[in-house]
Amino acid sequence: MFEAFIQGLIMILTWKSMLYLCIGVVLGFAVGILPGLGGGTTLALMLPFIYKMTPGEAFCFLLGMHSVVQTAGDITSILFGIPGEAATVAMIVDGYPMSKRGEAGRALGAGLSASLVGVIIGALVLLFSIPIVRPLVLSLGSPEMLMVVLLGLTCISSLSGQGKRALLLGLMSAGFGFICSLIGQDRQAGILRFTFGQLYLWNGLPLVPVMVGFFALPEIIDLAVRGTSIAGDLPEGKLTAGVWDGVKDTFRHFGMTVRCALIGVFIGILPGLGGGVAQWLSYAHAKQSAKTPEEMAGFGRGDVRGVIGPGASTGKEGGALIPTVAFGIPGSSAMAILLGAFFIMGIVPGPDMLTKYLPLTFSFVWILIIANIITVAASFFIMGYMAKLTLIRGSIMIAFILFLCFIGAYAESNSIGDVVVMLLFGWLGYLMVIYDFPRAPFLLAFILGKMVETYYYISATRYGFDWLYRPKVVIIFALVILAGAYPFIQNKLRFRKGGVS
Amino acid sequence: MKKSIIAVFAALLFVCLQVSGAAAAAAPYYAGKVIKIVVGYKPGGGYDRMARLVAKNLPKYIPGKPVIIIENMEGAASIIAANYVYNIAKPDGLTMGIFNRAIPFAQLTKLQGMKFDLLKYAWIGSTAVEGTVFAVRSDLPYKTVDDLLKVKSPLMIGCTGTTDISGQFPTLLKEYIGLNIKLIIYPSSADIMLAVERKEIDGRAGSYSSLKPFIDRGLVRAFIRGRVAEKGTEGLPVNEDLAKDKKGKAVMFMFAAADLIGRPFVCPPGTPPAVMKILADGFAKVAADPQMQDDARKSSMEVQYTSGPDIVKVIQSVFNQPADVIAEFSRHVQF
Repeated sequence: MFEAFIQGLIMILTWKSMLYLCIGVVLGFAVGILPGLGGGTTLALMLPFIYKMTPGEAFCFLLGMHSVVQTAGDITSILFGIPGEAATVAMIVDGYPMSKRGEAGRALGAGLSASLVGVIIGALVLLFSIPIVRPLVLSLGSPEMLMVVLLGLTCISSLSGQGKRALLLGLMSAGFGFICSLIGQDRQAGILRFTFGQLYLWNGLPLVPVMVGFFALPEIIDLAVRGTSIAGDLPEGKLTAGVWDGVKDTFRHFGMTVRCALIGVFIGILPGLGGGVAQWLSYAHAKQSAKTPEEMAGFGRGDVRGVIGPGASTGKEGGALIPTVAFGIPGSSAMAILLGAFFIMGIVPGPDMLTKYLPLTFSFVWILIIANIITVAASFFIMGYMAKLTLIRGSIMIAFILFLCFIGAYAESNSIGDVVVMLLFGWLGYLMVIYDFPRAPFLLAFILGKMVETYYYISATRYGFDWLYRPKVVIIFALVILAGAYPFIQNKLRFRKGGVS
Repeated sequence: MKKSIIAVFAALLFVCLQVSGAAAAAAPYYAGKVIKIVVGYKPGGGYDRMARLVAKNLPKYIPGKPVIIIENMEGAASIIAANYVYNIAKPDGLTMGIFNRAIPFAQLTKLQGMKFDLLKYAWIGSTAVEGTVFAVRSDLPYKTVDDLLKVKSPLMIGCTGTTDISGQFPTLLKEYIGLNIKLIIYPSSADIMLAVERKEIDGRAGSYSSLKPFIDRGLVRAFIRGRVAEKGTEGLPVNEDLAKDKKGKAVMFMFAAADLIGRPFVCPPGTPPAVMKILADGFAKVAADPQMQDDARKSSMEVQYTSGPDIVKVIQSVFNQPADVIAEFSRHVQF
């Protein structure tokens, strides 16, 4: 096995493979930075180029590209408050406020180093889980998935603000998210829900335009109202000074970074949940690590832990490869396209990947690590310049960011409906900011709502009521209750401590 | 009077055709042009992969070697793309569309929001037939269709919806052959296969090309196929032969139209016949191209060209069924 591990490294250490890896990384970086252009679409565009490559070269190119997209997307989220990728929205919540405070350098340093740690942990999990991966994935059926999704939903409470009023507003926000997730053709009976005769709405509200509108437009309005640059009127020196502080922050909170990376890995393994969920749950976990109410209140206003958590969720990259490699069953659209690459190479993913093609499987671990080291290292060289972008006059930046928003939303399905949805949700997002409604619970419920419905339906039609008695369901449900009650217990404890002192 | 007007028009038309013919001879129509293929689905699926193979290999068979690009316009099971090609794209031969092979059923059941008449498109043809098979887990003790007919508790069959082939094919088997089936709906084919893998469900129906890797690997075994055979499925029992009554056979016959239509390519209505001929010839040639076939095989697809007029005949055979058969069909098959 160790031999295969080394063979995997040798396989990609040819100059040609490394060249393709670098090309892939540059492409992935560009795609990640630009909002709207998604990793999946780019993979599909690049697929025709691999026909003449060897498997080692092809996966250096494709996987190298895919694995750095989120890392690069985080940069856009931090600097401009618009999601570079659908999966990097949670990075905005604390990353952008840090930029506004003139700490773009520190935020980038922390986010990128956490992201690298996340990828490495994900790759290591991929490495060590290879022998046990089949039983692991097969042990989670639809009823268990339903419970895992419910577990994800308990994060709504920690994503809402402090106090009863904030929790109520958070729940209302999540309820609205649920309603929005209902829009479209229902999967079970084919009934059209809230589509108002529009074909555009058949597939439901598109995720990217909703998110770009919801998070970016209110920030743009805010920038226009303030009339300054993103970082306000701060002296230039301070901006770039913080990069190493950010890196140190990641290692100061190393335990949390690892836990967030593992959350990412777990979400990555589960098919269909997607990168957005991974980043939100990592963020929620980071927020729960706050020890005092004051600390808790600091989240959303630029706490560095709120950047490290989402950054580390890149552990999902390694996790997502697991079902694809072991079963030939993709967990996301990007993985589906990567699966196409397997077939082009004449490889049938499945049990063979763990025997005949073991070196190739191990080379994926190396590719993930090397591609991200290159990306993060290169980013550190240009980080100073990137951070300075936050000093450009607001009136110029607004035009540029708005342009990116429109392109990003429109690129989703080349439909004017995407732009309308973005503007509508931009308006809604602005209202929610004004009236203190937290936006994260909406998004979590919007993404997970459809899955709750789907898995509940499958569990009920497949097993009747029997699924309720499955041992794993009971265990995860107990965790759901614990996770739901945890913030309240935590509050009580804090109160008591406060009372004593 | 009327005759003379017709004569004048005929003469004008003749002159026009001559002129365009002469122009074509001078410089190929497609020289320096860009053709756009509108795909009704997201990148990565079967339709998208086929379109990208065509984009890669077709240019060398079109005089003037145009560049071909792909535009993904997903939504509403590709009705949005079909509406776009029919109503908005210019009929200049620079836009093609590829959409859902089950689209005749949308028109048959008069789907709301559909804004086209399939028979009026300028049809290029289809680049593949997509035979449907019904497959069940190999580790179950069933070897023949008779074994399946004898099961006591229902077979749990995964599908992606009652409005697509993966749900409709088993529904017809249940209705007309008497298979004891319960449908469980999953978000995607990938989710279905994972559920099969962990034994949550017993099998599924789907295109042979998408199931082939799992059949080869021994996870599932194909039991029944639709009328359209592919290399490797010829020996399987055909659903129409297993059906007991005449109406059932007729409904299954209609249903097989989608398999024949496979991967349909069209241009907007009113695209000039001269341009259509160039495209149709190009498609016929590229389908026989060894490079194209090799590329396709690597993506686990088979290329087989069916001409536009033949596809139109298939669609007409669906539309021209007696009213009672159509009513029976619509009872089970919604788009």
